[in-house]
Amino acid sequence: MRTFLSYLNRGSLAIALLVVMARASFASVDDAQSFALQAAEPYVKEGFQVREDYWGGDLGSGEKKAVRQQLFKGNEYWFWMGTEVERARISVHIYDSDGKLAEQSDGWEKGHFAAAHIIPKSTGSYFIIVAVEESPEERTHWALVYGFR
Amino acid sequence: MFSFTKFLKLGAIALLALSWCAQAARPPAPQRIDIKQLSKKVEDVVVPLPNEVFGALNKLGSVNWKEYVRSSKGSNFTERPRIALLLGTVIADGFIAVQAEDAPAVKEIGQRVQTLARGIGVERSITQHAKAITEAADKRNWENVRQELDRTQNSVQQAMNEVHDEKLSQLVSLGGWLRGTQVLTAVVTKHFSDQGAELLHQPDLLVYFQTRLQAMPEFNLDIVREIQTALGQVKPLIDVGIARISPEAVKKINEITTRLDYGIVTRE
Repeated sequence: MRTFLSYLNRGSLAIALLVVMARASFASVDDAQSFALQAAEPYVKEGFQVREDYWGGDLGSGEKKAVRQQLFKGNEYWFWMGTEVERARISVHIYDSDGKLAEQSDGWEKGHFAAAHIIPKSTGSYFIIVAVEESPEERTHWALVYGFR
Repeated sequence: MFSFTKFLKLGAIALLALSWCAQAARPPAPQRIDIKQLSKKVEDVVVPLPNEVFGALNKLGSVNWKEYVRSSKGSNFTERPRIALLLGTVIADGFIAVQAEDAPAVKEIGQRVQTLARGIGVERSITQHAKAITEAADKRNWENVRQELDRTQNSVQQAMNEVHDEKLSQLVSLGGWLRGTQVLTAVVTKHFSDQGAELLHQPDLLVYFQTRLQAMPEFNLDIVREIQTALGQVKPLIDVGIARISPEAVKKINEITTRLDYGIVTRE
């Protein structure tokens, strides 16, 4: 009986480990997108229309990626970034086509969420720079959504 | 004692505020970056929805959107690239009908989108959105209609991407962009302003579409070739750097996009 119980315990431990591993391996850009949308939620109440389309991928610690986006003068935009890796630190910033910082000062970073705000001074292409600043994972999924009003 | 308690309370509040700031504040970003260094790490643009530019246009003055509503059934096509282009155009028509707050047109467009989606085998992905569009239009809930139109386009494109029809998905975006640009130029031609014309400053988007079309030699259709040539004509008119886009350029782009729109919606 005792052997059986210990077998059962080991079995449950193995199952628990498997579940954790499966969770880690099945975590995806879609999970990151859910977090990005979570960050966007409060802004919807302020009249921002959040686009269904989004960018996503994975980055190593300290890696950056640029996203090119057409923005229109007259609109106001927020870009929200998220990752499912809770202990990761991520950032997002907005630059104009000359590489000059173009964002408002009220952007924020909070753990696995980050956001940047812009009221474009001119219509044209802008670069949204996303980065995984720190992460316990080798590769960290990220997703970026945006909204406008 | 009272002041000590008050002091303690204030201290606790300050500490909480500080810890929030420490969490939410962020290290300063560099004031300038070298974009060229990032060239290999640049993701593709997300093509803006027509209502993104319509919203900016609205802020410049009132627009009589009813003038631009189109809800006619139009032609039926069997060629998938033609259906994809038309689908993008019809979704853009949906956004125009929302701007005009024209519920019957929105509902008709919802039906039309469903028929076109059936034509390219992605109807299942949008059935619930088409239903939601009708319901929201009945309630005149324009915000929901806008959101459902965005979801419709996204679901159609995702369904296409899943079966490796990415090129058709790009044609949906192109159809929407052309119709949006046609209406934008029509509005700006009517009441010209530099700010209105500036909304056409989209050179990277144009290059994006040109590159995509070049990678579609298998879509050997007159309309696809026509669009390719036309984008080449539009590019110098909008890629003007810091100069202003002239009223003549806006008019010319309107003529080009009107011709293309006619080619997309009619069978000839």
